Amino acid sequence: MIRAVTTICILLVLSCWCAGCTGTAPASSSQPVTTPSDVFSSWHLTVNASTRAEYTLDQIRKLPTTTGNGFAVSTVGIKYGPYICKGVLLTDLLEPSGGISSGDQVWISAPDGYLWVFDYDQVKGNGFVTFNEDLKEISSPPLEILLMYEQDGKPLSYNDGGPLRVAIISKEKGVVTEGSAWVKWVDKIEIKKK
Amino acid sequence: MNTKRIIRMLMSCFLIVLLCSTAGCSSGVQHPKTVLKVVPAGSLLQPFDEVEKSFEAQHPDVDVQIEGHGSIQAIRQVTDLHRPIDVVAVADASLIPDLMFRVDSTTGANFTDAYTPFATNAMVIAFTNKSKYADEITSENWYRVLSRPDVRVGISNPMLDAAGYRSMMVALLADRYYQNTTLFPVLIGSHFAPPLVVQDEGGIATIILPEVLRPSDEKLVIRDGSIFVLSHLEAGGIDYAFEYRSVAEGHDLRWVSLPPEIDLSSPDYADEYGKVRVILGFQRFSAIGQNRTGQPIVYAVTIPNNAPNRELAQEFADVVVQKAKIGGKGWPVPLN
Repeated sequence: MIRAVTTICILLVLSCWCAGCTGTAPASSSQPVTTPSDVFSSWHLTVNASTRAEYTLDQIRKLPTTTGNGFAVSTVGIKYGPYICKGVLLTDLLEPSGGISSGDQVWISAPDGYLWVFDYDQVKGNGFVTFNEDLKEISSPPLEILLMYEQDGKPLSYNDGGPLRVAIISKEKGVVTEGSAWVKWVDKIEIKKK
Repeated sequence: MNTKRIIRMLMSCFLIVLLCSTAGCSSGVQHPKTVLKVVPAGSLLQPFDEVEKSFEAQHPDVDVQIEGHGSIQAIRQVTDLHRPIDVVAVADASLIPDLMFRVDSTTGANFTDAYTPFATNAMVIAFTNKSKYADEITSENWYRVLSRPDVRVGISNPMLDAAGYRSMMVALLADRYYQNTTLFPVLIGSHFAPPLVVQDEGGIATIILPEVLRPSDEKLVIRDGSIFVLSHLEAGGIDYAFEYRSVAEGHDLRWVSLPPEIDLSSPDYADEYGKVRVILGFQRFSAIGQNRTGQPIVYAVTIPNNAPNRELAQEFADVVVQKAKIGGKGWPVPLN
């Protein structure tokens, strides 16, 4: 009997303990950002080059895959990453459309109205400013422009720019690039001929 | 069985639970704090950090979260990305009516209907003791020092940062003020391939930027944001940077002031400032055009109509306005 009462008492105290008395509540009561579903069945990518092509996410995923290290920094110094980025290289994506030539530009845009322009050198991985993890400028190692659909082994979420986002990747770890080129929610790529 | 003993145990247990749920435990309970989301322009980060600390000290139940962006990007958090933001503060007041006095299709109301101008600023030439000719440069000879072939100059990217296109405006205005039409080319224009050419469009000196803004030589350095330009300056990679006076002060840099006719600080010279224009290389955001015409620098704060915490947001904005009147290190110049 005494043992039973003791057990009840212990359970009562424990339940009180676990119910939230000692738990640290999240420091947020604001509404979460409204996000569309991470099911991107209606999404498609338009590539306007010498020919016009459209890709579903499944079709993008069937293109040759590349994985690399990506790490971005905003204009005010906020770092995003490091990430393991998986996707299709911009050069591979453009190849069936005839690729690009010296002097051409690639315009990459998203439905939120954001646009960024890459020149031929950048498409080939040159001309980016690079930093180390302490945001000190370093010589640029070889870089590539990736259309990322997986980040750290998981499908890219809407909040992270999914289903398809630009990532500037390197084989080396800890190489930070300027985030303005990391276009989120990419749905249109155009080649502007010289 | 000892009934009294059982009763004593149960009472002890009850007391422990009672204590746990009131005195002892209540100190451990952390009610969720109200998050006040504040999005300022990058040049306001240092002063807003100060406001955040004092505001949270006065409101222990509030967690002020500051998230810096360029001014346009700050507004886009509300208008294009539809995030629930409480306070937006920008380095270019004209952006608010342009981008936010329009209907939000999700609410049927404007993104905002009012804003409060609270400060101005001035463009200066920032430098360090390591800068070439640091012991020579003055407010009178700055353009001659920066024109020397061995001097490297930095600006932030006009596509991304108001300080960037304002730097170009200063160089264009300097052309007019010093009656020396080689200044803009020597300082900025000739360091691109092809060079940026100043065109006269109805009395307005205009330059059109290329889509990819990459200098063709090492005289001019462009980085996405001011912090990277200043980091480069402090590391000795460049000698001088066009920068806001408040930011130069906040970073403990040396700086020389420029004549008010060209430093974008004075409403008295608004007409003069309006005689220069920078046309960006492409429309980075569909919501805003590519033309930037010179005008006095005015900072402004607004509370979006869908702010989750309007009263707190208003209180925060009021603190910003009050503190701006006092000014201080890193603060833009109070409005008269």
